[in-house]
Amino acid sequence: MNGPQAMLPLQLECTLYFENNPYAYETVDGLSVRLGRKAEDLEKILEHLVSLNIVEVIGKGATAIYHYNQPELVHGVEV
Amino acid sequence: MNNNVVNTGVNGLDRVLYGGIPRGNTVIVEGFPGTGKTLLGMQFLYQGAVQHDEPGIYITFEEFPDQIYKDMKAFGWDIRKLEEENKLRVITLSPEVLMDQMMKPDGLFEHLIHEIGCKRIVVDSISLFQYSYASIEEQRKVIYSFRNTLRKYQLTSILLKEMTSVEEENVSFINYLVDGVITLTLKPYSKNYRKRTLEVTKMRGSRIQEGEHLYRITDEGIYLIPALSMVEDEVITAPVDTVPTAIPAMDRILGGGIHDGATFTIDTNSKSNYRYIVTAIKSGRIKAGQKLLIFLSSLTTISELESNFKKYDLDLAQIVKEGNITFVEHYRRNVPKEYKDAIINVSDLDNEQYRRVMNEQIFSMIEQGVANGEKWFVYYDLNTIASQRGSEFVKLYFGVEVAKISSLGVSTLVFTNFKELGEETSGFVERSSNGVIRTWVDGNYQFLQITKTPNGTISEPLLVEKIDEKPFIRLV
Repeated sequence: MNGPQAMLPLQLECTLYFENNPYAYETVDGLSVRLGRKAEDLEKILEHLVSLNIVEVIGKGATAIYHYNQPELVHGVEV
Repeated sequence: MNNNVVNTGVNGLDRVLYGGIPRGNTVIVEGFPGTGKTLLGMQFLYQGAVQHDEPGIYITFEEFPDQIYKDMKAFGWDIRKLEEENKLRVITLSPEVLMDQMMKPDGLFEHLIHEIGCKRIVVDSISLFQYSYASIEEQRKVIYSFRNTLRKYQLTSILLKEMTSVEEENVSFINYLVDGVITLTLKPYSKNYRKRTLEVTKMRGSRIQEGEHLYRITDEGIYLIPALSMVEDEVITAPVDTVPTAIPAMDRILGGGIHDGATFTIDTNSKSNYRYIVTAIKSGRIKAGQKLLIFLSSLTTISELESNFKKYDLDLAQIVKEGNITFVEHYRRNVPKEYKDAIINVSDLDNEQYRRVMNEQIFSMIEQGVANGEKWFVYYDLNTIASQRGSEFVKLYFGVEVAKISSLGVSTLVFTNFKELGEETSGFVERSSNGVIRTWVDGNYQFLQITKTPNGTISEPLLVEKIDEKPFIRLV
């Protein structure tokens, strides 16, 4: 995988996976099996999603666990 | 509600477990693909969250949670909504990550448990551990540690386990480590169908209803019908007047005793001792202040009845003197003077004359008594009627007679031997009865089984033990 444009479909796939499965806790290898994508490609994508606050990471290295960072929704506003 | 047990969310299963799974137990639910393990697990969590306010976590190693959300919508269960309310979580991770996080102080597992105040947990499936840990020793160690962690957090847990044909023959070590084992199976039934059965083979801290119980997958999830329970006869159970039989175990099965207006048939074989069962039922009626109509048989003489009643502290002569028992006698026999007025002898009557006496003398006597507020009970010796009046007579008039008695709110105990009566007639008698009690001798033991009751409960075959005190028999 080369430029940022080429990464976009995989980034979308990952984002959708975490959004649809908000309590998925995945290592890079685990996600690779789950999505049927290469671990080295996913590693970069996940780093990027962490930087965008879409995904949170627990731990470091091969055992690092990625999970969805649920957006805070405001259901009502006090006036 | 018993706080020491956790309802499974499947009413029938709770009945099989006498209330539910003991709180904090770890239970295996094993079965082949398509048996409904995932559904049972999710039903346990969904109903726990909705009906008992007990948050739960579903851990899946392979299935995508969004697929589970979709699948469960078919049963009207909105899992996402419960997740938003912090009552449920569908978590996906690998067995290694789960174990790693379980072992860490303040790890992800602990965090998730505390986040929602988790009380119930389902793991789908425990079989996946075998792929993550190569040796049996390692698997056993990991699963043992896993079970201990679930106990530490006092979680009531269901571990789903995939069954293989090899495992069918060899019991997995996991089954030894856990507190309970529930097996789901799909078995060929009839030619084109399969039946779903559930069996609880182990449950520490709880009694279980043994045997295979049928279940169906309905629009509302798994619906289980415990074995030996049948459709309730609402017409008969509606009245509240129930008279105990003097045999506690029998009364428990019958929901208190025999209801007024119910017809019960007792089927005995020649070897079995029915004397105490029958006398216990009659004595219960006498003690409840009811009047009795008793058909005498070739074997049941007045003197034998006297001695039977005496065992139950009842003075037959006195009861007769008070006008509380009437006998129908089909034989010409000498009877003690004090009983003469209580006996209606029909031995010389042909069937037509007999019917006339039954209608004009006996039934009208009961009818009049009931109109005056009396309660009556009829002991109907069908063996005598069949032998003296013929099986055609039984087929023609038995149903009519018991219906007439029942319509007066009078209960009847029909004494018979189905085998001697023949298949067709006994089938008819069984259908005409609200309850059937069978007793037979097999080898050196006598058994008793209640195979039909108005409240829908039927018993397993119980052993009849002879005891020295009243009621002289104990059902075990």
